[in-house]
Amino acid sequence: MSDTAERSRGLRLLNMATALPIAYAGTLILLLCAYMFRPALLSPLLLLLIIRQAAPLGLAVIGQSLCMRILSIDLSFGGVAMGVSYILTSGYIPGGEGALIACALLFGAMVGLANAFFIVRLRASSVIVTLAMGLLLTGIVIAFSQFRAPGDAPALLKYIGQSRVSGVPLAPLIWLALLIPIAWFLKRSVLGHYIDAIGANPRAALATGIPYGGIVVLVHVASSLFAVFSAFLLVGFVGMGSLDIGRDLALNSLAAVILGGVTFGSGRGGVLGPAVAAFMLTFLFNLLTSFGLGEPSKLMLQGAIIAVAAIAYSARTKT
Amino acid sequence: MIGRVRSRTSRSGIGIITIALPLTMFVILSFTASSFFTAQNLGNVGNQITALLIVSLGQLIVAVSGGVDLSVGSMLSLTSAIIVTFDPAIVIPLAIAAGCVLGAVNGLGVAVFGVHPLVMTLATATFVQGLTLLVSPVPGGVVAPAIEALAHGRLFGLQPSLYWCTAAILLCWLLLSRSAFGLRLYALGANPRNASLNGVKVVGPIIACYVLCSLAAVAAGIFLTARVSTGDPTIGAAFGLDSITAIALGGVQLSGGVGSVPGVILGVVTLGLATNGMNLLGVSPFLRMAATGLLLLGAVSLQRRKTIGV
Repeated sequence: MSDTAERSRGLRLLNMATALPIAYAGTLILLLCAYMFRPALLSPLLLLLIIRQAAPLGLAVIGQSLCMRILSIDLSFGGVAMGVSYILTSGYIPGGEGALIACALLFGAMVGLANAFFIVRLRASSVIVTLAMGLLLTGIVIAFSQFRAPGDAPALLKYIGQSRVSGVPLAPLIWLALLIPIAWFLKRSVLGHYIDAIGANPRAALATGIPYGGIVVLVHVASSLFAVFSAFLLVGFVGMGSLDIGRDLALNSLAAVILGGVTFGSGRGGVLGPAVAAFMLTFLFNLLTSFGLGEPSKLMLQGAIIAVAAIAYSARTKT
Repeated sequence: MIGRVRSRTSRSGIGIITIALPLTMFVILSFTASSFFTAQNLGNVGNQITALLIVSLGQLIVAVSGGVDLSVGSMLSLTSAIIVTFDPAIVIPLAIAAGCVLGAVNGLGVAVFGVHPLVMTLATATFVQGLTLLVSPVPGGVVAPAIEALAHGRLFGLQPSLYWCTAAILLCWLLLSRSAFGLRLYALGANPRNASLNGVKVVGPIIACYVLCSLAAVAAGIFLTARVSTGDPTIGAAFGLDSITAIALGGVQLSGGVGSVPGVILGVVTLGLATNGMNLLGVSPFLRMAATGLLLLGAVSLQRRKTIGV
């Protein structure tokens, strides 16, 4: 893989000027579609609602794109989200809301650390590790919730999920508030450059003394924490715990990252591309629902979109 | 020194743990679960692992080439949905055709367009799962008697699952260990660039791998649907990860080039015994899911790779 990456560097530079992430064109096409067939979806009220709905996915996508930039992947989002939902709502953990939220954050960090331990120390494939971690967490949470069903969400998260600031929902504002500093940080900071270097050529990065392992650990902890934030918003929206929370998070975030022009080892789409893609996917699902399409067609479209985006991306960067 | 290096890079991938794990499990279960060591239960284990064995052998072929196929579970479900939905005369050809198409799409995406196998097969898995739900939204339906006989009829008084297992093992072994195709596959999986420079074609064999893997899923789907005598659009959901767990337990390197049929059999038996044991000991099915995750984590930790990441 690294060979083709090297060979195509010249082409990639050329591409950078001409090609934008598929998500931009896709969003435009979808908006046009909506304008022609379902203009009601474009009313400011509904658009704001859709953006609000996209916020949890948008947060998860930040974590996923970080992982993919350093040639890793995180498919444990679903398990993390379920775990967070259960921690927040089961009533097992004593203490106030602050303690619950701190617990959830700690849980996320632990999962990230565990993922990173297997990936960095034991050199296990990140796909398998994070899939297995998701399976493990999901199994444990479902088994536990048979003894104690999830209850109400903490009031603070309900407030964040459901309140508005002068007409604008709070959730997308939080998304934006995290997105902008992260974009700036990745562009300007040493860490951001390290991440790019690792993605471009891990062996070269290691040879030049970049703390490769440490950065993988950091990225995986960050990724799990973004999944926790995402779960916070989801729990806040629903207002109570549910075992359905975050079921599609891993797959949708993967789709959004690829659509947003970020793929293994390349952060070309930046932070904005995947964010637009998160909105695009959410808008697409709403559009499909408005056309009366059910779950099967949604799954088919989702699969087709990931495949086509991945193929288009690979075909473009290949010599 | 040479001996040590050779044993470390053994192509079969079978280590001490690969063999010791199923044996230990067998001994422990014989002592702890009273109903384990009975002809009835051992027959059950055989039946339970047949489908997994067939899928895992398919997964082995893809893994040897350096890929992975997460779409086997959806393909299995699709086969089940096809069998109960369409005219019994055409269901098997139809399922095989679907398997060929899915395998070809996966293979083309991976070999021609260079998409990461995980992304490609995850995408097709999602698509096929959607298609399956479209074909047959809810569990149910009737399986034609002729197809049912494939898993219930006894030939020479032996369990039909035995024939399925033997056929799958024999086919896969011939393909990997006794054919030029298998030899090329090991070369491709170990180092695609070297193999290609030595005149091994890359695109064709890789596509063939994914087609064979999807066909294995179709075969498993036919057996499983015939055995339970009804259709279920989510029957294969767990098979993608289970088959990867099984081959990882069997010493197959997911980075390619290392793996063997005996190893996969051992891996499948390990997983089958674990599931059966937890069943007998009354462990909740959800905790069994968690245990599969744990086993998978343990299995991949045993493999030593050089690269960090996917």
